[in-house]
Amino acid sequence: MTGARRRILVVEDDPETARQLVESLATSGYQADLAVNGGDALSRGRSTDYAVMTVDRMLPDIDGIDIIRCLRNDGIVTPALIISALGEIDDRVRGLRAGGDDYLVKPFAFAELLARVEALARRSATVVKETVLRVGDLELDLVSRTANRSGREIELLPREYRLLEYLVRNEGHVVSRAMLLQHVWDLHFDPTTNVIDVYVGRLRRKIDTQQRYPLIHTVRGVGYYVRASG
Amino acid sequence: MLLAKTLRSSTLKLALACIGIFGAVVFALFGYVYWATVSHVRSRADHAVAAEYSVLQAAFDAAGRRGLIASIEQHIAEQRLADGYYLLADPSFAPVAGNIEVWPSELSGPRGSQDVGVQERNAESQTPVLLRTKFDTLPDGYRLLVGTDIGHLSQFAGKMEAALAGGILLLLVLAGFATTAVTRRTVGRIEAINATSRAIMHDGLGRRIPVRGTRDEWDQLAENLNLMLDRIEALMGEVKQVTDNVAHDLRTPLTRLRGRLEKASHQEFDPERSRALVADTMRELDVVLTIFSSLLRISRIEGLNSRGTFSVVDLAQVAGEVAELFDAAAEAKGRRVKFESGGRVRVIGDRDLLFDAISNLIDNAVTHGGGNVQVTVRDDDQGPTVSVADRGPGIPLEERKHVLKRFYRIERSRSSPGHGLGLSLVAAVVQLHRARLEMEDNGPGLKIWLQFQPVITEGSLSVAPEASGTRC
Repeated sequence: MTGARRRILVVEDDPETARQLVESLATSGYQADLAVNGGDALSRGRSTDYAVMTVDRMLPDIDGIDIIRCLRNDGIVTPALIISALGEIDDRVRGLRAGGDDYLVKPFAFAELLARVEALARRSATVVKETVLRVGDLELDLVSRTANRSGREIELLPREYRLLEYLVRNEGHVVSRAMLLQHVWDLHFDPTTNVIDVYVGRLRRKIDTQQRYPLIHTVRGVGYYVRASG
Repeated sequence: MLLAKTLRSSTLKLALACIGIFGAVVFALFGYVYWATVSHVRSRADHAVAAEYSVLQAAFDAAGRRGLIASIEQHIAEQRLADGYYLLADPSFAPVAGNIEVWPSELSGPRGSQDVGVQERNAESQTPVLLRTKFDTLPDGYRLLVGTDIGHLSQFAGKMEAALAGGILLLLVLAGFATTAVTRRTVGRIEAINATSRAIMHDGLGRRIPVRGTRDEWDQLAENLNLMLDRIEALMGEVKQVTDNVAHDLRTPLTRLRGRLEKASHQEFDPERSRALVADTMRELDVVLTIFSSLLRISRIEGLNSRGTFSVVDLAQVAGEVAELFDAAAEAKGRRVKFESGGRVRVIGDRDLLFDAISNLIDNAVTHGGGNVQVTVRDDDQGPTVSVADRGPGIPLEERKHVLKRFYRIERSRSSPGHGLGLSLVAAVVQLHRARLEMEDNGPGLKIWLQFQPVITEGSLSVAPEASGTRC
């Protein structure tokens, strides 16, 4: 969270949820503007350059999806996180097709929301063409799709490699289980078992066993991040 | 009330229209008979009169006026023409011979053929006789009239009119009775259905429409409606069952939570303990939310009828990924999830839902089963299948049909984690894909497999267009 405070547009009509959102985003270094209805959201979205916007589906005057569609029509590409109490199955598809960039189903943990907002904010900032990713003494070769630590190659299954690559690309930032499922397995539903944790556990054994310091860290109840120290 | 309904009934209107058409047909039929009979009688009278006239004409030609008069007298005496009337008048219309009192004033022309009323000579009654006549002027200036009584024709017409009136009256009375009976019966049957509908709206789904056992279309309608009501009642029962289960499964953890918080509110504040309390509470709440979202997800899948998100999916790839994902979990228990397939197996479906369904099957096998879990994907004549087999205790035969129900948990697994919703979700996904779910004994263990419909068309299915409009 470097540089000036980034601005974020929160479109939410429930006062309690809106207050919680604005507060927790402010704590994380965002300047959050609140829009409580569709008209407000459209005028703010058009006039200000936001890093990210979160849009509730069910607003009193308009469907959140229509706000995103209208802004996209005006050429505004601010990454949008759709928040909805509706089920994921078909609404997710509709939401993403309308120009939403990510989808979060109520109820959600604020840590999950923050992780996703962070990921969306980063996405607009970093598009770097590299062939090797490094974190500490871990090297990922993006061409041969292999990993080594201190020059010693680590045997990974293809899916394990993708998981590691996603964690490394988000170095220093927490990624949630749902985000892993979404980006590594291309799935869009909430995991109801701890199977992801077990899978990450196996990857962690391959990466961190008998090393000077651990790379993969757990944030209890939220997800994981990769960092070279601490 | 029934009378008012009868009057408004469409059956009554239909019956009245029928009576109208039928009455018009009867009227036309009577009219035709009347017209045909009258013209027949007239034409026969004309023939008879014409023949008689030529006989008399011949007598005049042969023997002159004297012979004609004699012939007339003779014809009257012998009644050569039934109901025959004759009159010979001089040029000043004074009668000379015949059985008619005076020359009818209507017949002033030299010749003609006309219906006319005349007075019979020396008759007791003063009523005129209606004649069909032929008259002509003879060469000597005298006029000869021959006629026949057609009074019976007007009697016949009167009888016809009476018959017509009587027939119409009878028709109206009978049709009136029939209409009333049919309409009352129809209105009665419909009223029975309406009454049942109202009773159902007031008192619930217990009522049924009475069936009379006549096997007619009314009975069939009633039976079909009753079957529909049975189905609705069954569905409502299921919904109630689920609601009760939801209430139970959500209330239990919520009550536990409430109790814990209530107890904490009475205790001295202790940072360590309250941190633990908050952590526990959030964990329990997560369980409740998980159950809730699983239920929503199942209802959602069951309610999906558009397969807008369907495309061609490689079943082998999806099952392989799930197997690999769960292999890590099985490994932690010292077991393995093994995967086998003969290459790409295409099905038309939703990748997320298939992943979720197969996840639940493998998760069950790893959590509740035993030994290694074998996941196999095949594509044979009957279509693509994915099977998940374990070496655990299996599911008793009598419990197999229940395990797909929501919240159902077989007795021995109640202590292990789970909410009894996994297989319900699988069942919902299977139904959406028009697939089949089968269970069999793996001796020991359980083998459960999903049989999909074969893919017929190439390429991916088109995606339904976006329906909602944009308001900016």
